[in-house]
Amino acid sequence: MTAMTGIPLPQPTELSRPFWAAANEGRLVLQRCDACGHHRWTPQILCTNCLVEPFTWTEVSGRGKLYSYTIVYRAPLAGFEIPYVLAVVELEEGPLMLTRLVDAPTERLAVDAPVEVAFTRASEEINLYTFRLTDA
Amino acid sequence: MNGGRDIAIVGVHATRQQKKSGRTIVSMMMESIRGALDDAGIPLSEVDGYISYIFPAGNGRGFDDGAIAEQFGHPVAVTAQTSGAKAVLLAGAAIRAGIAKVVIIPAAGAQSLAGDMATYTRPTFEFTEWTGSMTPAQYAIMARRHMHEFGTTIEQMAEIAANSHHNASINPQAVRFGEEVQTVERILNGRMIADPLTQPMCSLVNDGASCIVVTSAERAKDCRHPPVWVLGGAAETHGNSYFEAPSLRMLGTRQLMIDGFAQAGVRHDDVDIVMCYDHFAHGPIVQFETLGFCEPGEGGAYVPDAIRPDGAHPSSLDGGNLAYSHNMIPYNFKQIEVVKQYRNEVEDLCPGWREGVHTYDRTICRKVREPRLSVGCGPLTDARHAFTILAKD
Repeated sequence: MTAMTGIPLPQPTELSRPFWAAANEGRLVLQRCDACGHHRWTPQILCTNCLVEPFTWTEVSGRGKLYSYTIVYRAPLAGFEIPYVLAVVELEEGPLMLTRLVDAPTERLAVDAPVEVAFTRASEEINLYTFRLTDA
Repeated sequence: MNGGRDIAIVGVHATRQQKKSGRTIVSMMMESIRGALDDAGIPLSEVDGYISYIFPAGNGRGFDDGAIAEQFGHPVAVTAQTSGAKAVLLAGAAIRAGIAKVVIIPAAGAQSLAGDMATYTRPTFEFTEWTGSMTPAQYAIMARRHMHEFGTTIEQMAEIAANSHHNASINPQAVRFGEEVQTVERILNGRMIADPLTQPMCSLVNDGASCIVVTSAERAKDCRHPPVWVLGGAAETHGNSYFEAPSLRMLGTRQLMIDGFAQAGVRHDDVDIVMCYDHFAHGPIVQFETLGFCEPGEGGAYVPDAIRPDGAHPSSLDGGNLAYSHNMIPYNFKQIEVVKQYRNEVEDLCPGWREGVHTYDRTICRKVREPRLSVGCGPLTDARHAFTILAKD
């Protein structure tokens, strides 16, 4: 299991607190615009499609494919255990999400490979939305 | 911008670019502001526009139009926070509209503020920082996506990096001048930073400043050097760099860039130098595709040969971000190199360079033969792009 201790942990804001609360329960939620249904990521005050304010935090599938990735050998800060896989996941619902792949043997890494949200607990409050490779 | 010859770059300056200079940002920036105005032959009292990401003087409280005017001791008409091509385009628009007459575009940065990795590219943002994201990793993600989508190879990227490193090896002003020259083989075997990018495929981090002076054709008549005309260009920002997931979405802005050439009445084939932005080795590939010099996916095959000093569109002629200078704000250098090439003020290893005599022997010479129409890129990240089209008479 990838260690996720000793790294700078997210500080939830008023805007993002519901996201982290859901993550803490193992659910991946995105803002979905009440007017046009557009999913957005990262959290934004207004819809990035129609600039409407009302939205609903909506659970998403947590599935997607690997848009791209890199194996990092030179970490920005001490505390990151190298090497690690930094990845961009294209969610089924559309948005691209910057994340970490866990349990990702190098020989199985491939662009466009199917992935799903894994969640890696970092503290009592923070459950990180990591991803892992799936078979299907 | 419509291709007219009414706006000109009339002054440029760059301090020595170096690692750990021990100098302050404000001292380097003032050297460049004075140097560029002296180069133009315009006194500071005529400056009524200031465009820069930073204002390190005044009351020390940062960028503010009031603080800038207070420090200058005279009215300032136009201020904006950007750099490079975008700043030149904004300066030109303001001057053409009659709301400013002489705009300076200073930039300065120091390694001491960043450590050995630019801090602004790893914001303490709750959805970025925990992932261990940082610049080389973000661009490695884009490089791999380009390789997957289009069959671009790591060897092609290494050739692009080798062009920058070679040019720096014959530019005594380059940070990496005098150091071991990074050949394709060394680049491929370099220390892996973020797979597939090795260290010689990544930008430098160093100290230095630069400044550009932009004015009207009328004011340019009395300047010390022939004007370099700003025919046009384009600028766009489509996202929040380093906060969001890096991707190749820049390619989606391609038509906007191509329109910039059309509005200036310039055909891509007529362009000589293209000072694109080699932040990482794959950068020029994506930029050549986005600017419309080749189709998306063709850059890997096209760019390595095109950017050599004798190629169709020479680039990174000073050594680029990889080996000349990355002082955190290196965008002005892409404009300055074009100006230096036009003026025949290209310092290299040719014995007669001071007199403008070049050998065109590519082992010692980085001067392009008679360039007349050029492109200078930047600011440029995963989520923003700008370029100017620069011409000489």
